[in-house]
Amino acid sequence: MPFESKSEAGYTIVSIDETRLDASISEPFRVYLFDQIENGSNNMMVIDLSLVRFMDSSGLGALVATLKKMGGEGTLKLAAAQPAVLDLFNLTSMDKLFTILPTVTEAIEEK
Amino acid sequence: MMDEKGQTVRLEIDSELANTTLVAMAVRGLCAMTTLSPVEVNRVELCVVEIVNNAIEHAYGSEKGHKVEVSVNLLKSYLTLTISDWGKPMDEGKLGDKNFPVDADDPAAWLCSGRGLPIVQSLMDKVEYQSVDDKNSFIMSKQIRS
Repeated sequence: MPFESKSEAGYTIVSIDETRLDASISEPFRVYLFDQIENGSNNMMVIDLSLVRFMDSSGLGALVATLKKMGGEGTLKLAAAQPAVLDLFNLTSMDKLFTILPTVTEAIEEK
Repeated sequence: MMDEKGQTVRLEIDSELANTTLVAMAVRGLCAMTTLSPVEVNRVELCVVEIVNNAIEHAYGSEKGHKVEVSVNLLKSYLTLTISDWGKPMDEGKLGDKNFPVDADDPAAWLCSGRGLPIVQSLMDKVEYQSVDDKNSFIMSKQIRS
């Protein structure tokens, strides 16, 4: 599975070892994130998007579903989104829902 | 030098989501022949992926073994992409909405799917859909600076 997680400074850092977060992997990705929420001790999550060069609406949908799953409890931040990914968030106004930081470190330090 | 008919290439994949990347990469390469900016090329790629995925998931119900055809026509001032399937026709009522209303205070209204067509309609200059005999075609065009 191209997803991994580690703990750092109280956050679960999820990384994606794929350049494309598209419909071929968006459902396993959503399931993985839901598992992190259900099995984690808290809902403090940073998703490292640094390797993702392309995201389609299904990848975006997996992230929105995860945010909804949290139900207002905890934090979900996105880090290191690449230009095409940022463009997708801006186009769909999803930048209003998500906190997007330039790096994982800044996502952890952001209050 | 391109004439008025332009140049056309047809690509064909089997209806499997993993194959969408193949046409996406091919279209990126073709876009490199145009004056489209890197941002515009990314957006054209996104539109192709959304419509090919729609064909696989909705026309064919995610069933493998069916044909999806992508035809790319390069004209002097337009890039036209036609994505065709021979499955269940799309409800044309789904075309038209290209807004993305978001209320950060209303999580129940946050959509987890259904953004593909609005994305395409907001990024392309012209979009149309037609079903002729058994063939369904989504035709989208992007203007190119000459």
